[in-house]
Amino acid sequence: MTVLILTCEEDVTADMVVVHLNASGVPVVRLDPADLPGGVALSGEYVHGAFRGHLQSAGRLVSISGLRSIWMRRPGPAATRAPEPSDWLTEESGQALYGMLRGSDARWMNHPDAARRARHKPWQLRVAQGCGLPVPATLITTFPQAAREFAERYPDLVVKPVSGAHPQDPPRAVPTSRVAPDTDFTAVAFGPTLLQRRVAKRADIRLTVVGERLLAARKATPEDADPDQVDVRFASPDVPWQATEVPPRVAAAVGAYMRRAELAYGAFDFAEDADGTWWFLECNQSGQFGFVEVETGQPISRTVAEWLAHGGPEPRSHVNGSSTTVC
Amino acid sequence: MQPFALNYARPAVELEARTPYAYDSGLQLNVLSDGRVAAGDLALLRELGTTTSTAGSKTHFDD
Repeated sequence: MTVLILTCEEDVTADMVVVHLNASGVPVVRLDPADLPGGVALSGEYVHGAFRGHLQSAGRLVSISGLRSIWMRRPGPAATRAPEPSDWLTEESGQALYGMLRGSDARWMNHPDAARRARHKPWQLRVAQGCGLPVPATLITTFPQAAREFAERYPDLVVKPVSGAHPQDPPRAVPTSRVAPDTDFTAVAFGPTLLQRRVAKRADIRLTVVGERLLAARKATPEDADPDQVDVRFASPDVPWQATEVPPRVAAAVGAYMRRAELAYGAFDFAEDADGTWWFLECNQSGQFGFVEVETGQPISRTVAEWLAHGGPEPRSHVNGSSTTVC
Repeated sequence: MQPFALNYARPAVELEARTPYAYDSGLQLNVLSDGRVAAGDLALLRELGTTTSTAGSKTHFDD
């Protein structure tokens, strides 16, 4: 049985997992849907009440019925590297590929439907609340007056993108940023704006969840840190990530979150305050983990490989199934 | 007419052009010019930052 990895070629984090799968002798087919058609080919037939499908990439041919698991790591949009790409071809290729794969019995990390839903940060906040995770006071609005009133109630705020996406024309980053007390909120009317009470943090926490396994890392906030520097992605690299324990209450709540979200993998971001409380910020369903493993030595890639190679039975209720609430 | 959040935007950091490895479709891995598997060189990965959460990268929608 083969592990199918859907990701782009430059994804060296996926390489870390492939190395472990190779060492275990587990067959792997890695491909990027962006190369379909062209470098990737497929065929499937529905005849006499049965389905037989195959994928081919770089000389490897794999039966869809022979897949044990599918890792949706960082796949490109289908057909975007095809000889003659078009929006229509992307839709056709995506429907063909994912339509066939959805009919397989393979386990997903993560299922496309669960992944799509889990990317919605407002939904994440609600799930986190429902699972008992502390969530900083948050407002998402296009009403400037609502933003002003929220700022009166919570004078120390940060702003961040609702989607987590970054503008590409031109390429820009929108880090989580502190909002000055005298800020003019008029521009809130020009786009949904996410404002959140700033947590005076003593550390950032990255909790990587693989199946049932929790691997937490902590990056302490220096005492002389600039309070305007709130986004850990832009923090000083001088302070290392270090492995840390997960408080039992957090572990239970995170487990409930994963079940509610129907995720096999999730990378949670928390801010730890002076009391030691972990405040939920977000859960990235395909969040990076290589940097944590490189700094802490935690066996995250090996754990992902083990999940893909073994693991338990596949839950069947993806997003619209019958067992969607467990919190 | 610029949305409020974009008042806090900054130029993105693009990492892709600086990677000293290339994908080998036979191995299904990225390899360095000397033939070593890039994922085995943790010091290099740390230096390059290609496994990090980096706001603004086109390949890092989920950080």
